[in-house]
Amino acid sequence: MSDIVSLEARKSEPRLRIGILRLTDSAPVIAAQEFGYFADEGVDVELITEPSWANIADKLSFGFLDAAVIVPPLAFAIELGLRGISQPLIVPCGISLGGNTVTLERGLAARVRDAAQSLSMAQALAAQIRRREAPLPLGIVHAYSTHNLLLRYWLASGGIDLARAVKFTVVPPARAVEALASGQIAGFCAGAPWGEVAARAAVGTTVATSDDIWRNAPEKAFAVRRRWADDNPDLLKGAIRALLRAAQFCDAPENASYSAALLSRHRYLDTDSHAILASLPGGAVTSQNLSRFWRHAATFPWRSHAGWFLQQMARWNLIDDGQDHAALAARVYRPDIYRSVAGAMGLAVPLADSKAEGGHDKGWMLDAVPRPIAMGPDLFCDGTVFQDEAAPAAQ
Amino acid sequence: MPLTILLIDTEEERARALEEKLRESGFARVVRAQGPDLAAIVEREHPDLVIIDMALPDRDALEDIRAISSGRPIVMFGGTDDPTFVREAIAAGVCSYNLSGVALADLKPIMTSAIALFQRYRHVETELAAANALLDERRKLERAKAILMKDKRMTEPEAYRWLQKKAMNESRKLSQIVEDFVRAHQDAQREVKP
Repeated sequence: MSDIVSLEARKSEPRLRIGILRLTDSAPVIAAQEFGYFADEGVDVELITEPSWANIADKLSFGFLDAAVIVPPLAFAIELGLRGISQPLIVPCGISLGGNTVTLERGLAARVRDAAQSLSMAQALAAQIRRREAPLPLGIVHAYSTHNLLLRYWLASGGIDLARAVKFTVVPPARAVEALASGQIAGFCAGAPWGEVAARAAVGTTVATSDDIWRNAPEKAFAVRRRWADDNPDLLKGAIRALLRAAQFCDAPENASYSAALLSRHRYLDTDSHAILASLPGGAVTSQNLSRFWRHAATFPWRSHAGWFLQQMARWNLIDDGQDHAALAARVYRPDIYRSVAGAMGLAVPLADSKAEGGHDKGWMLDAVPRPIAMGPDLFCDGTVFQDEAAPAAQ
Repeated sequence: MPLTILLIDTEEERARALEEKLRESGFARVVRAQGPDLAAIVEREHPDLVIIDMALPDRDALEDIRAISSGRPIVMFGGTDDPTFVREAIAAGVCSYNLSGVALADLKPIMTSAIALFQRYRHVETELAAANALLDERRKLERAKAILMKDKRMTEPEAYRWLQKKAMNESRKLSQIVEDFVRAHQDAQREVKP
């Protein structure tokens, strides 16, 4: 009899199955699970470490996962059904800012660095590419990734003709070091800790980070199947509360070595904890490539971030021209849910859903209640300011 | 017309079994591959269908539509036509890409074989894991009894009853009590040593 009762009980409190990849920015979700923050909120979470973005996408599409730590362009691809069956998703909070590296094989990196005395790093790479006969093979982690969009943006800013001069190859980050060593690719753009892993294996040198392309660039987001969110509004709020708590823990420099040890475990990243440490706030001694989990409103799902991703996806023909970007961004990115959860916790919450991206070369204060939020610089490498056109004016 | 199938699976025995089965069916040429440069292999072999173990990270390398299929369709098997079938495949841990747009009816029996094989292996894995867990439980129980017999000078039946009673009093599973007891003992040992 007791079995039947427990089965019934389980039915009323469904599990939240969250998919993650072996990346530094899985940290808040892993911390929320391991420290019992999800459990404190009464949310029964199962963390599933997937080997590929393709698995994350398919398992969300077919209901094997309820949520995932995801690169936002892939969330839009799933929402639109660009790679198979479509599945409506929402992004009620962000996970991280920054954390990617552009890592080149060591010889090329040295030549680019030498030439970068008078030129920008991207221009210096452009000069190296012009000397080549064949296109430069560069690895990205997925076509619908922040890495693809950031790398293309950066290369284009250096005057590189992407259609002719570069051959993009999709290489899973865990294989990138091997591919770099074998000469299959001459460089890659991937999330932490893989640039650091390549440097430690003495096959690659990092020549640019997310910050060199777009300072405090949005990186991972927390995406949830809209159906799950609609069916479990209270559990969703509980999960977000747990994630906001974990984001603050992971962002605190004094917790870096603890988080690195946790992440390096076999069932999570299964890699050198020192390489992970280098990409955590407070953990870096020499590395300039940090993931940010809380500061600078890192968890707020900005509609203008969504707008920029969609603009860039359209630029490189990853989505059709006919898409209404503002409507799509509003459907997926949900600052309203974030505000209701964070506001009730007494956390500072931005007043606007969108902001101008790229206007700040130093720190600035963002209008928020009950108190302003200290923001970081947000310059693009080409100095552009991105305005989310169709966004309604801030109230 | 024989179809070319690219099979990407690091589980040697399973791959061989599937290859054999597909060859027997007579309408397939099977190419097995692994490693980082799958896009080049696809370019060279022009497979109609790619079957890949979902546990491998290499799926992402197959995802870049323009790089590997030069404009040809690349869809996960079944697509929206038969979501139940795709669900079965995912549950079994196998995935496929239709690269040349061959009619679904021709590919279905191939994927059915693959799904059945993957399911069987998954089943064996699950059973193995369960058997190992049971073995581990037994070993820990023996260890817990040995500790009690040595430290508290109990007989074996007394040690067993002691653990059972503890489980009953705390209304927890015997295996959990044993696990905690052995770990607590190990921790205590470790503290004494240095």
